[in-house]
Amino acid sequence: MPHVPTDTDVYEVFAQTGSGSPLNHVGSLVAPRRDAAWHLAKETYGRRDDLFRLWVVRRTDLIVSSADDRGLLAAKTRMPHRQPGFPTTRRRDRSAAPDTAAPPQQQPDGAASGPCDDPRGATGPAPGRLWPALAEDLFVLGNRLGERIVDYIDLEESLAVGSIGQEALAHAETILTLHGFDASAADAHFFERPQEQWRVSRVIGRLGDWPSTVVCGLVIAAAVSVLAEERAGDEPAFAAIRDEQLVHLDHWRRWVRALAAWPETSEEFTRAFTEVTHCAGDLFGAGPQDALTDALHARLAALVGDSGVPGSRLPHLPVPRAAGTGGSVLADCLARGRLVRAHYAPQVFL
Amino acid sequence: MPTATAAGLRCYELWDPMPDEVREGARRFATVQALNELVGVLPFAEWLDRAPSCTRRQMLMAKVQDEVGHGHVAARVAEDLGMPRERILVDYLEGRSKVHNIFHYSFASWEEFGPGLLLMNSAAIFQFRSLMKGVYLPYGRALRKIEREESFHYQHALDLTHEVLTHGDAEQRRRVQEGFETWLPRVLAYLGPPDTETLHANRMHQIGLKPDGNDELRQAWLSKIIPVFEKLGMHVDPALARQLPSGEWEFAMPDWAEVKKVIAGGGPASQRRLDWVRGALDRNTRYRRALRGVA
Repeated sequence: MPHVPTDTDVYEVFAQTGSGSPLNHVGSLVAPRRDAAWHLAKETYGRRDDLFRLWVVRRTDLIVSSADDRGLLAAKTRMPHRQPGFPTTRRRDRSAAPDTAAPPQQQPDGAASGPCDDPRGATGPAPGRLWPALAEDLFVLGNRLGERIVDYIDLEESLAVGSIGQEALAHAETILTLHGFDASAADAHFFERPQEQWRVSRVIGRLGDWPSTVVCGLVIAAAVSVLAEERAGDEPAFAAIRDEQLVHLDHWRRWVRALAAWPETSEEFTRAFTEVTHCAGDLFGAGPQDALTDALHARLAALVGDSGVPGSRLPHLPVPRAAGTGGSVLADCLARGRLVRAHYAPQVFL
Repeated sequence: MPTATAAGLRCYELWDPMPDEVREGARRFATVQALNELVGVLPFAEWLDRAPSCTRRQMLMAKVQDEVGHGHVAARVAEDLGMPRERILVDYLEGRSKVHNIFHYSFASWEEFGPGLLLMNSAAIFQFRSLMKGVYLPYGRALRKIEREESFHYQHALDLTHEVLTHGDAEQRRRVQEGFETWLPRVLAYLGPPDTETLHANRMHQIGLKPDGNDELRQAWLSKIIPVFEKLGMHVDPALARQLPSGEWEFAMPDWAEVKKVIAGGGPASQRRLDWVRGALDRNTRYRRALRGVA
């Protein structure tokens, strides 16, 4: 996690040599007093070049990344779809692929399934049952957060929900990939199955105003990070999902505390927190319950409890997921997702 | 201290002493851009929930996020010059500021979306490349960041157009062609009224905030973008735009009275944009206060 250094007498120096060049970090120095730091910097780092600007900042005023933040900072690997070269590479791969005209992988239940896990069934190891259900939650949440980008709560918040939304969609797809889906099977899974076949958590139906969205974000990030932890040791993709979801969890926790403490929002927040946590008992409720799901649920409850606000109504034990949940939130998401797709031949969109 | 640019004008950093008209001009440019990014992204954001595959949705979400990010960096520049960010949207709602003509429309179909985006993005790239040569350096740096992201948007728009042209049926391809013909005149108008005769007298040009004229940018843009559409296999009606043997482009002159009416709020989506922004502020202002008040 990023940290704040503690060396109080150290100053970091930034210099710019021309108006068109960037301000560069050039080094640091020790200054006994704040007002001496700039002049000492000039003598230490400004003896050769004409400087256009010289900036000095006390090290303790910085928030700096740590070595273990590098995964989170690797934008090119984490979010390849943002790169200018991405569309071209995708087009080239597509025209080179021999099977672009092949029909999509169809499974009797409308879902494609992997070689070892039964994504929607009631058998198989617990994580294999739980993951595809959470992928559905992440997909709907990601879409809703995308719409929040232009809700202008604050500009920095817009950018944050944009990233959390993109990561939620990426995690949803990665989870399916890890369960044996290819890209077009994952698209078919998310875009073409009828609503009756979805088994989203009851929290999805609560995705409405901002306080409810915050609490949904919180419980889903908590559940996904708890489950990803199970496989983080043997599958790097799960470790990456866990790390990103823990960042989301922190984000939602800051919101939870702010909304709970602010007089103007505390009442509506408390209502949302109560309602959404009450619905969150089914996050690990896909398939039959066993010792593992109970343990995962207990860890989820602990993370929700750690948010620092009272009033959680998360049930003590996991509650089974039901078909047909998600209400108008899921119905709208699915209906709009088909509007363009329905007018094109299968396999046109990748 | 200010230094001299290649054009012989002084450049300024935030805390440099600078003429009031430079400070106010830079604030106005950054404010106008911030507003146009924040409102201008709405016609794109409307298609997020219809984007037809996981990857398309990711890419479109990244684009929408970038546009708001552009609004953010422009708003930061404006804020440092004394324009509170809250006022940017409030001034728009209360009629004190306007958005460009192109943001008063919606896209009628997915097929129109690609060519519309491609025209808008490429024109914006020419605008930003020009403005980044201006004398207020923090704005120039903001535009360089923006410009870098625009190259992804350009490729994204090209890809959307290409996908429908390659895999769509005849009717869908026809709508791409129509989309191009619908949006070309709008984007020609977006680049501003003819100013070859008047640029030298434009105060913003004189003080170095508007380096190039509208006509110059429009010509450079047409030289770049028309061949791109031709290469995509689209028909470019010479009545809309054609290159003369001299290399200069002739184009159907926008109806400037109509453009003015659209900008004043007479476009098909003018009210829709205002309603969205008003709704967003009504819904959310107290949450922003909560975040700022406690965090």
